[in-house]
Amino acid sequence: MSTPTRRRLMRDFKRLQSDPPGGISGAPCPDNIMVWNAVIFGPADTPFEDGTFKLVLTFDETYPNKPPTVRFASKMFHPNVYANGELCLDILQNRWSPTYDVAAILTSIQSLLHDPNPNSPANAEAASLYRENRKEYVRRVRETVESSWE
Amino acid sequence: MEDLGSDSGVQSQPDKGKGTADDEDGATQDYGDTYDFDDDDEFFGMDDSGFEPVVSSRDQRKPWEVEYHVHDAHGLHDKQEAMINRLVPVLSVSKDITTILLRNSQWKEESLVERYLSDPDKTIRDAGMFPNAPAPELKTGNEDFTCEICYCDGPEEVYLGLGCGHAFCTDCYVTYLTGKVLEGMSWRIRCPGAKCKALVGEQAARLLLANEPKILERYEDNLTRSFVNDLDSFTWCPAPNCEYGIECHVPKSAWATIVPTVHCRCGKAFCFGCNMDDHMPAPCFLVEKWLQKCKDDSETSNWLKANTKECTKCKATIEKNGGCNHMTCRKCAHEFCWVCMGPWTEHQQAYYQCNRYNEDSSKNARDSISKSRALLERYLHYYSRFSNHERSAKLARRLLTTTETNMEQMQRNSSMSWIEVQFLSAAVDMLSACRATLKWSYVLAYYMESDNQKLIFENNQSDLEMATETLNELVENPVHERTIEEAKRLIIDKTQYVKTRWETLLRDTAQGLQENRWKFQD
Repeated sequence: MSTPTRRRLMRDFKRLQSDPPGGISGAPCPDNIMVWNAVIFGPADTPFEDGTFKLVLTFDETYPNKPPTVRFASKMFHPNVYANGELCLDILQNRWSPTYDVAAILTSIQSLLHDPNPNSPANAEAASLYRENRKEYVRRVRETVESSWE
Repeated sequence: MEDLGSDSGVQSQPDKGKGTADDEDGATQDYGDTYDFDDDDEFFGMDDSGFEPVVSSRDQRKPWEVEYHVHDAHGLHDKQEAMINRLVPVLSVSKDITTILLRNSQWKEESLVERYLSDPDKTIRDAGMFPNAPAPELKTGNEDFTCEICYCDGPEEVYLGLGCGHAFCTDCYVTYLTGKVLEGMSWRIRCPGAKCKALVGEQAARLLLANEPKILERYEDNLTRSFVNDLDSFTWCPAPNCEYGIECHVPKSAWATIVPTVHCRCGKAFCFGCNMDDHMPAPCFLVEKWLQKCKDDSETSNWLKANTKECTKCKATIEKNGGCNHMTCRKCAHEFCWVCMGPWTEHQQAYYQCNRYNEDSSKNARDSISKSRALLERYLHYYSRFSNHERSAKLARRLLTTTETNMEQMQRNSSMSWIEVQFLSAAVDMLSACRATLKWSYVLAYYMESDNQKLIFENNQSDLEMATETLNELVENPVHERTIEEAKRLIIDKTQYVKTRWETLLRDTAQGLQENRWKFQD
């Protein structure tokens, strides 16, 4: 069945394949174009370096007028990621624009990794460590990087 | 023996301010509509047909009345248009931009003009518009066009772009607008482009939604809604399903000395300041204080008064739930007699009987209690009268139904016509208005410091109260041992008298508040 949402998701997929931004990859499930699996590689020169973080993006027929729901499938330790993997990112909420595509979402999340916003914490412990004990913060992040390889 | 904190017990909020919800008192109802902008023109337009405009007493505002206008949806729309059209030549930019500038500055014309004249371009850009941008139009036939939302492209696509340069096909634009409009948005809808601050503007929105009449109607609705919400001098009538907007220019700073009661065309009388039901003669700030106090105290205090006494030494509230009269306070270990409240040491062996009521020490103990209870007594004095009038106001509304039966009966039993028995419903309307005023007058009295000015106020209050009760009795039982003609004459007389008392009280309090005649305490 072809709907504007599905057509748009196919275009997103083609764009992602033909012009992939560095450090991210993603593809719809073979049997359901509305659910995508994606991987973000931890940006270099950040505590997340070498991590391979898996995400699941779920779209509905309101896309691209409404954002998809995005959550990390890998364990994360980050000020703006909740314990259940959901994340707090403005462009996935009130700053959403229908011109964002999957590539734009994934690159935004990638930049959120090394540029957290500790003022609106989804994980209070990560936020306070990020502010007050950077060494311990890095150690905890490295743990998740290692667990992301499993 | 139990020690009770003063906050224990049942708390409940007295049914607040329902007294006047449906009041349509004859004295003010006719005045409700006459201050409408729209109606004014028609009113004076009557000159042509040979009628002189009658300057009757209803056009002279009473001291307790404020000027206001009731607008329907059309009136509100015209009001916006008038404000916009007035400013277009001043700013000499397009109407679309003027509209956005006005909305963006909460319709504060003066500060907008000032800002605009100092830097026109910046003012327009800050508001999310583009100076010198051509009027929005649907375009087609562009080889290079690609919609950034659905990626459709080619010369056959119809699209629209704003001054920001982002262009989208009409299908995507309409879907986007529809979503935002249904969320309740109107002029604040921005260009769909990522992080773009450009506003879509009313002209572009109307162009795009031309084929979606339902959504367009909702969009226009949202515009009016934001107009009334953005302006301090406008408010919506709070009655359910009422769609009238009220315009009133009594500034917020004056609400302490003026009660801005307005009467909507739907019949609702409410305060423009706090949107509560009409609470004349008490000003908003006292009403708020009172309702908060009632919420905190009323039921608890009632229960405490009925069931507890205070320890004469530490004032702990004590409920006696069994045992003899020899009390030992759990808090301070003071021993006293429950009956005379004197110290137990003076009771010797008289365990089960206290006949020492007049002894000095027990008298002193009772005095100290009575002081702290006096405040409570005072509050309850006013509260019981306040709630009594509130209840009576509800009964008065029920009375209206029985009155209608009475009126029918009178028409059958006498030669009176329908018009001739209207005096009865007029009396009930007057009663309702008085009940509401009396109710809130007790709030005003509670906070007034005692002095001669308060005495004058209380005299007015009691005059009105007595007159109201007499009228109430008459209306409830109009033909008791009287002929119908006698009853009619009596009720008409009494209604007129009550009205005079009512107006006297309102005039006096309105003037008193203006003159700061009373000192208010906490």
